[in-house]
Amino acid sequence: MIRNYFKTAWRNLWKNKLYSGINIFGLAVGLAACLLIGVYISHELSYDKFNRNAYRIVRVTMEYEKAGTVNAVATTGTKVGPQFKRTFPPVEEYVRTYIRQNIIKHDEKIFDEPRILYADAPFFKVFSFHLAEGDPATALDASDKIVITRSMAKKYFGNEDALGKTLTMGGKDFRISAICEDVPQNSQLKFDFVTPFLNLGNNVKDETWWTANWITYLLLRDHNSISQLQQQVNDYMKSTAVRKDAGVEGNNYLSYHLEPLTRVHLYSSLPGFEPNGSIRNIYIFSLIALLILIIACANYTNLATAQSAGRTAEIGMRKVMGASKKQVFIQFISESLIITLFAGALAIIISITLTPYFNNITGTQFSVSAFLKPLPIAALIIFSILTSFFAGFYPALLLSGTEVIGVLKKGFSFTGGKNLLRKTLIIAQFSISAILIIFTIIILQQMNFMKTKDLGYNKDHIVVLPIGGKMLSDFQALKDAFSQVRGVESVTASYETPEYVQWGDGISVTDEKGKHDISLNAMPVDLDFIKTLQMKLIAGRDFQQSDFAMMDTSNDYQNYHQPYLINETLAKKIGWTPEQAIGQAIEKGATGPVVGVIKDFNFSSLHDPVGPLLIFLNRDYSRDFMLRINGNDVPQTLSRLEMVWKQRITDRPFHYHFLDEDYNKLYQAEQRSSSLLSVAAMLAIILACLGLFGLAAFTTVQRTKEIGIRKVLGAHAGSITLLVSKNFLALVVIAIAIAIPLAWVIGNKWLQDFAYRINISWWVFLAAGAAALLIAFLTVSFHSIKAAMANPVKSLRTE
Amino acid sequence: MIKIKDLEKIYRTEEVETIALNKLSMEVKDGEFVAVMGPSGCGKSTLLNILGLLDDPDAGSFIFNGIEVAKFNERKRADLRKHNIGFVFQSFNLIDELTVFENVELPLIYTGVKSSERKKRVDEVLDKVQIMHRRNHYPQQLSGGQQQRVAVARAVVNKPKLILADEPTGNLDSHNGNEVMEMLTDLNEQGTTIVMVTHSEHDARYSHRIIRMLDGQTVLENIMV
Repeated sequence: MIRNYFKTAWRNLWKNKLYSGINIFGLAVGLAACLLIGVYISHELSYDKFNRNAYRIVRVTMEYEKAGTVNAVATTGTKVGPQFKRTFPPVEEYVRTYIRQNIIKHDEKIFDEPRILYADAPFFKVFSFHLAEGDPATALDASDKIVITRSMAKKYFGNEDALGKTLTMGGKDFRISAICEDVPQNSQLKFDFVTPFLNLGNNVKDETWWTANWITYLLLRDHNSISQLQQQVNDYMKSTAVRKDAGVEGNNYLSYHLEPLTRVHLYSSLPGFEPNGSIRNIYIFSLIALLILIIACANYTNLATAQSAGRTAEIGMRKVMGASKKQVFIQFISESLIITLFAGALAIIISITLTPYFNNITGTQFSVSAFLKPLPIAALIIFSILTSFFAGFYPALLLSGTEVIGVLKKGFSFTGGKNLLRKTLIIAQFSISAILIIFTIIILQQMNFMKTKDLGYNKDHIVVLPIGGKMLSDFQALKDAFSQVRGVESVTASYETPEYVQWGDGISVTDEKGKHDISLNAMPVDLDFIKTLQMKLIAGRDFQQSDFAMMDTSNDYQNYHQPYLINETLAKKIGWTPEQAIGQAIEKGATGPVVGVIKDFNFSSLHDPVGPLLIFLNRDYSRDFMLRINGNDVPQTLSRLEMVWKQRITDRPFHYHFLDEDYNKLYQAEQRSSSLLSVAAMLAIILACLGLFGLAAFTTVQRTKEIGIRKVLGAHAGSITLLVSKNFLALVVIAIAIAIPLAWVIGNKWLQDFAYRINISWWVFLAAGAAALLIAFLTVSFHSIKAAMANPVKSLRTE
Repeated sequence: MIKIKDLEKIYRTEEVETIALNKLSMEVKDGEFVAVMGPSGCGKSTLLNILGLLDDPDAGSFIFNGIEVAKFNERKRADLRKHNIGFVFQSFNLIDELTVFENVELPLIYTGVKSSERKKRVDEVLDKVQIMHRRNHYPQQLSGGQQQRVAVARAVVNKPKLILADEPTGNLDSHNGNEVMEMLTDLNEQGTTIVMVTHSEHDARYSHRIIRMLDGQTVLENIMV
């Protein structure tokens, strides 16, 4: 029996190649979208769960109020770990961590390594990073020990055994105490080297609540004790003794939150070592995959019901011969099952082909093997079966309900109710497509707005050269050398680059009413900062060489003054006009005068409005040189810079990046969403049109005789084309009308997250609507024009 | 075998009411070969559909093999039908996607006959209608006469008590038409009851009795000698 069903199904598919092709391709694309996004989602959901202790590990985050501003960060002071372990019995172990870049050397091999993890000794006990060689208990128990990953062992030592060998880092020798397997993709901690935390230097030897630069993890004895421990921590941090120890006064507070390790990646608002994923994106991506699949399913349902007229004779005969309704139903479900299983197989091929592009869009690094594991394959099969049922249910129900009498009547066909469903599905498909198209345009516009927005400084043609090692002690000489390179217009340096300033600080200003505290962002810079970045001074002047004289370190800093630049917002916040601000005193550790006010520039993501910013002169904090170069022959200028670098800096490779690239990285998440949405919108419209193409083909065949008669009676090709197209186009128009308000709401909701945003203009809707309509018209008219041009004698003979 | 009394069937659309069968009564005995004739629209096909348990009457009594079936639901009718009745149509109604063998096999599948038994019986009947050499061809590869022979084979493969034929020669030339009529006569002689709707006086002469219909009623019966 089943064999007979499959046989008929197979032959039917073969006979109707166009429709089968449309169905298989459409469903394959839908399933491939589900598979790709499914693998991505399961990767995101699996984050950090490979740790045996995953549910017993928490990340400690810090929240504090100072000068009326509440701050929350994922980093903590050095004291949190040890103090919590001493104080709270549920804490079994703590690990403080930090990842930074350093130069690592072995013989001739010298590399700038970005992922060196500094961690307390129990690191390998708390986390489950497998050591291929070496003992987890002793791997980090001495300051000259370093653990390296397998890839690093290969990079520095080739096929030699690396264990026990020596690496030089920052001029100091380290013994390789263990070889660690490479860190899995789904780990929030990603490193190539691990060395003891205390190697970070003198500033971590003391335990302090503040200077919160480190990420602290706690291993609890029992995963159920998190909420209880949280309560204990809250009470503890409120106690007078601890407040005094931490120097917290008045209304200010300092508290810590415990985040379960497995929730950090998707649920935490605080980025740690890498930007977090977002559970919202997981929902959005799932929804998109599902929508595409729904469009493909709707194609199947529509084409199957449209074709059903041609199948009534067969069904009638089967019923005449004794087939029950159930048997016919099963037959048609089997047919859709065959189609979806084909589509499923094709989906795997599509997914594998598209993996590189998908990785590009999502920023993941899946290999082809990610799709060929039992779990995704099993999921795909189950999903295909569900899909086949979903898509095939209605046609099967409709066809199995065929009155057996139908077979004996010529020209029998379905009318009424089924057309309503078909129309609804077409409207749904085009509504989804139009929403995706409009939303994509909105996102692209916003992205473009952000890329081209006047930030208050010129981010183009700025080369960033990281400072490290002995470069600081040689600062002026290096600056002079870079300045003299042909093509370099101006050189400055700063602690952070201006596109994303994170340094949080506080100042005091005294007026007639007394002393006010203001919390703000601050950045230490070198001379020529304003000039190099082409910022605008509203009042006063840039820092100048003579300002260094103010910073008198003699006599134990008795006469030390710090010159300041402030931004407009800070001036306004204090209550000064830019002109009034010049010469006013600001206290931040050292007191000093405001020498200039600069026009606000965006020093953070455009999601946030510009806040108060203080710029102070201090080149000792510099971490990056910033060079403005002219745009003529950039590669030449860079190679000249490299030459100068190699002459003067022997312990570091020449390494540069561009400021505008750094800026664009701020919007990587948006960039990814927009790429994904563009692809989804394209897929949606292609699939919807494919369905329309099939339906139009079908309708024209059905109406061949009518068209023939009309032509015999004198209708011209244009009116026939219109006749066939207008019904479809009316549906598309309705779909667009439904889509516009929905897209407007969704678009505005998305834009709400930006402090600096575009306004959605009416032409977006017009353009998207016109585009959808035009595409639909071209799709439909292909068939209608063909039918209209056909010889009517031929058309009439088909009946 | 068949006893019908005061059978009514009315088709309604929104504006028009068509009386297809108007208190029609008739009887067909076991082993009879009956032809039903009449102009287009007289209700012949409706009668055949009801006799074939494909459609149900609106009123009246229909006793098939001693059982009142007028009020049977679709499932019960289907059950009775697949074991007792074979059909031959004017337009053959073979399933294009199935081969000759598979078309003939279909009724056996639906009555749950085992695969080995099916093969035996299909081959037997294909042999009988002399189409064995075409068993793996598709309907469209056959001539009209060959297609109708396959349709007859399909109608008899389940050894039904009753065969209903709806203008079985309507789409055939006279040579092929005669062949089909002779096949039906053979079957009748072996004991199968046959009811045939036809426009052809020539074909009707193969039967034992002609029932003439007009406006949903029987108007005349001719006993053939």
